[in-house]
Amino acid sequence: MTARADPADHRRFVRRLAIAAVIALVVWVLIRPAIDGAVTSFAQLLIRAYEHPKVTRLVVVDHRAEVRRADLRSDSALPTIALTEIHFNTIVLLALYLALHRPWSRKQIERLVMGWSTLYLSQTLNLLLHVKFLYASAYGAWSLQHYSTVARNVYGFLQYATDLPARFALPFAIWLGFNWDQVMPIVGLMAEPPRDARGRTGKPHRGRTK
Amino acid sequence: MTSVRALWRRPDVRFLVLFLGILLVAFTTIAFQKVNDAVVNPYTGFVARLSGAVLGLIGEDITVTGCELRSPRFAVTIYNGCNGLITSLIFVSGVLAFPASWRAKAVGVIAGLLAIQALNLVRIVSLYYIGVFLPDYFDESHILIGQSLVILAGVGLWIVWARSAAAASRAAR
Repeated sequence: MTARADPADHRRFVRRLAIAAVIALVVWVLIRPAIDGAVTSFAQLLIRAYEHPKVTRLVVVDHRAEVRRADLRSDSALPTIALTEIHFNTIVLLALYLALHRPWSRKQIERLVMGWSTLYLSQTLNLLLHVKFLYASAYGAWSLQHYSTVARNVYGFLQYATDLPARFALPFAIWLGFNWDQVMPIVGLMAEPPRDARGRTGKPHRGRTK
Repeated sequence: MTSVRALWRRPDVRFLVLFLGILLVAFTTIAFQKVNDAVVNPYTGFVARLSGAVLGLIGEDITVTGCELRSPRFAVTIYNGCNGLITSLIFVSGVLAFPASWRAKAVGVIAGLLAIQALNLVRIVSLYYIGVFLPDYFDESHILIGQSLVILAGVGLWIVWARSAAAASRAAR
């Protein structure tokens, strides 16, 4: 395969995208409990890393993260955060990857692992900020005592940023970033061939042949 | 400095920088409470009224209050994130950042926004009926069928538009 654009590439991509969306959906449904656990446990680890004493526990119940604090009364209402909304964008990332040429090649699998890991980190960060914003704003007098107005605003803004914008835009941006050489020819934009010291372009740049 | 200029001359690099820049500005702008109250909420209300009108045409006894659609059978509230705005912003950022003529960009923005909103309308109407007939599956469908498909459709639309805009630019040269 070369980086040269095939006139039919974008049509093939759009056709593949429809099938890839179904496959991605099935894969996500199958591994959803594992993603729930992975996102929740890493978010809990990060929260507890900066917590003294370590009181936060995130428990997965029916695809929601229950926020439990050891220092609250046992009969307190437990706030929950929908995990499905946090990691549904895995479907989008998977579908976009699968719609590209040769998605099972070693190179594409490596890119998928890198892209998915980046998305996973963003999902973890999103959950962490949900919890922090909850602490900063939803516990009445306790929140006012432990979090300043600045902290509330900062956590609020960061939660917003990692919520809708990042959740919707990141799969596309990650996919674009890790598959630059494949996506740019599809949309008709090609990177200029590398130039030598005299500014000559030399041979046309070609992608790796597999 | 020269290398930065050389990088900036590359259309693909320029596209990425502009795309992320426009996206950042757009998302930051709609984060402000005033913009939310003046633009996002009225827009979401408009989407709710439009959805209510379509459901009314189909024969549903719908009352729209703000962003809430209510009938004797089911009620659904449209929030930011369900109004197609975020996907539209991503699409518009991709169109504006792409090296194409302003005419092609204008066509792309208008056609793309209409297509995304039409798709979102279909999504809201389908979700209403899922709520009526399969209420247990409403939450899942809202995320799975709705948001994922709208984002993927936005990406697909952008790919098709960008390809045709790039071909038109080459033909013009």
